Amino acid sequence: MASPQDRVFTTSPAQLASSAGPRKHRRRIDPKIWWAYAFISPVLIFLLVFSVVPIFFSFWVSLHSWNLITPIPEMPFVGVDNYTRILLYDDVFRRALVNTFVFAFWGVTFNLVLGLAGALLLNSRIRWRPLWSTFFFLPIVTAPLALGMMWTALLNKNFGLVNALLGSIGIPPQPFLSSPEQALGCIIFMAIYQYVGYYVVVFLAGLQGIPQDYYDAAAVDGANARQSFWYVTLPLLRPVMLFLVVTNTIGALQVFDLVFAATTGGAETSGGGPANSTMVVVLHMYNTAFKFFRMGRASAMAMVLFVVIFVITLVQLWLLRHRE
Amino acid sequence: MKPSRTLFILVVVFALTMLNACLPAPGAGLQEGVAPAGEKVKLTVLTHWGEESLLKPMRAKLDEYTSLNPHVEIDYQTVTFDQLLTKITTARAAGISPDVYHFYNLWMPDFVEGGMLDEPPSDVLADIQANYSPGSQSAVSYGGKIWGYPTELNTYQLLYNKKMLQEAGIEAPPATFAELKDAACKLAIANPDGTLARSGFVLMPGWDSGVVHPFLSLLWSNGGEYLAPETYQPLFNGPQGQATLQLYVDLIGEKCADPSIGAFGNFVEGKGAMLIMANWLRATLKDAFVDGYENVGVAPIPTGEGGVSTTLQYNWLYGVDSGSKNKEEAWKLVQWLNSPAGEGAASPIGDYLTSALGAIPSRISDQQALADRLSDEFMTAYVRSAANARAEPVLRGGQEIKTALQQGIEAAWYGQKTVEQALNDAAAEAERILAENR
Repeated sequence: MASPQDRVFTTSPAQLASSAGPRKHRRRIDPKIWWAYAFISPVLIFLLVFSVVPIFFSFWVSLHSWNLITPIPEMPFVGVDNYTRILLYDDVFRRALVNTFVFAFWGVTFNLVLGLAGALLLNSRIRWRPLWSTFFFLPIVTAPLALGMMWTALLNKNFGLVNALLGSIGIPPQPFLSSPEQALGCIIFMAIYQYVGYYVVVFLAGLQGIPQDYYDAAAVDGANARQSFWYVTLPLLRPVMLFLVVTNTIGALQVFDLVFAATTGGAETSGGGPANSTMVVVLHMYNTAFKFFRMGRASAMAMVLFVVIFVITLVQLWLLRHRE
Repeated sequence: MKPSRTLFILVVVFALTMLNACLPAPGAGLQEGVAPAGEKVKLTVLTHWGEESLLKPMRAKLDEYTSLNPHVEIDYQTVTFDQLLTKITTARAAGISPDVYHFYNLWMPDFVEGGMLDEPPSDVLADIQANYSPGSQSAVSYGGKIWGYPTELNTYQLLYNKKMLQEAGIEAPPATFAELKDAACKLAIANPDGTLARSGFVLMPGWDSGVVHPFLSLLWSNGGEYLAPETYQPLFNGPQGQATLQLYVDLIGEKCADPSIGAFGNFVEGKGAMLIMANWLRATLKDAFVDGYENVGVAPIPTGEGGVSTTLQYNWLYGVDSGSKNKEEAWKLVQWLNSPAGEGAASPIGDYLTSALGAIPSRISDQQALADRLSDEFMTAYVRSAANARAEPVLRGGQEIKTALQQGIEAAWYGQKTVEQALNDAAAEAERILAENR
């Protein structure tokens, strides 16, 4: 239960005023409340200007045709035309949505499994633990652009090192990033390589927070290692998993830099290839806005993505909390 | 006033001050008028010539101007080509537009419709009308008006590695579609595992101009059409268009070309034997061509049955932002850059384009004054090709139509659609884009 002190900061002036009942005189608002608002006002104003206002502005722009050049008051109003266009006629957007879902689903799933396995490994009495930690965590501190370029060179169909290694063990060369069938899989692999270290660190923190008493009690009850894992470790890691799934799904649905780096062969190319097989929503949005001058349509894409992320997050929260 | 209330107001004022510091300064928005007399005029110039070899000579030209005009100060900004449009539009939206920018003429319709470009003064107009070819004038015109100085002119030709052709026993560069296919198949080298160690013909997937400009050059050389002259209705999906795209699909299917060896750099590095490319690649070829610049061969675009070799031409131009507070000085600078430095001499831009970039200058007097620089085998072929060049259509939505066609072509390259379906889908998308821009 919240303490009286907490209530000062969690109750708005309006709520306090309304809770005063039918008194003749308005209850004087505690000056502390105003002070609280005053001190958090820099952050509030910053959030308002740089987060809340742009969201509403973006929605407003999505109902207009705007090329970024025309003065804002002169933007023609087009209603839901931008939404109709992207949802019914824009094949690339639909493809990008599917690719984005596939990327987010497999990227987060594999990272969860591998991240947990890595954390269990580091949590055990393994030798050279710092070395393994470095191995897992090194990619996360590398810039996605650099990683994208590195993998592009390694996975080159004709001149890449990976195909040379595959050839040495008798496996035929693979087209990898130059194949519409394999390119998205390669991008997912790059994302796993880059972010698994983050999952390992968070899972490791969760594992080390589980009191040894639970394992001791399970052992007394005759639980073996597998049973301890299923009935002690996993249930107690659920809050950690909830955090990882929700935050990383949101991040994965907004993927841009990795795809851009891995699929642009030079300053001239616009990414998402070959033949849009790795096109993701944010990259398509960027191209629509800054290459085709269609800010209204790009804003509509942003709003659709916003709704998708919102709904997926609610479902994830419901699923993972409901089962608690 | 109670001390606590005073402090409260101070905190709020502090918050608002912080917020204000994050917003553009007053007057940073669109400005108009003329700089106050006696003050030094600062001009911002934006181009995409950012590499060291291009940056230094351009800066030298601008330094020369400021030494001749001490009251002018120039802030020279450069970005890469892929960032140029973003930089121009976002700077405009933020109210910090450069005074002068160098841009691709396909972007001009949107710039004009958005009221972004200043109309050139009468003396500039007279100069352009008197000293540039009708083709160059038309390339910088939209809505019946000229919007800036035409600068670099680029056409496309078939580039080939002389040494590789010689080694393959090919005596002359291919002149027809059939010869192009035969030559590419002879020049391609396959690894034992089936991948290509060398592509006979280099494709450039992922880059709209790299896909569409060579395709249109081949399409026109096959007697086909891109868009209808007046209505801009898409015509690229006709029989000639399908035959042109089929040529590419056959090259890929018969392992004579491979989209994964797909960038002009592969031709430069010797991983490809032929390429259809614009003349601006000359500077890179001179610096880095695997077998030496003397082994770069240039030939006209191969033709289809009964076709005439035709190339696509596109232009760049220097324009002045309509919101500049120093329009008069900005136009003076642009005019100086594009005017002959003396009797019979080249303009500073003409000198720059031919020495640093390897581009063809649009100004007729530059082409005459710099004839010696344009007379090597490479440049001669490109200059000659301009006689049979067709300008890329400049229309609203042109960039989007180009991208739709690129995506259609690539879908056929990767076997996702048949040639007919890929071009018909691209044409349907082009129709939608045209309808939206009417």
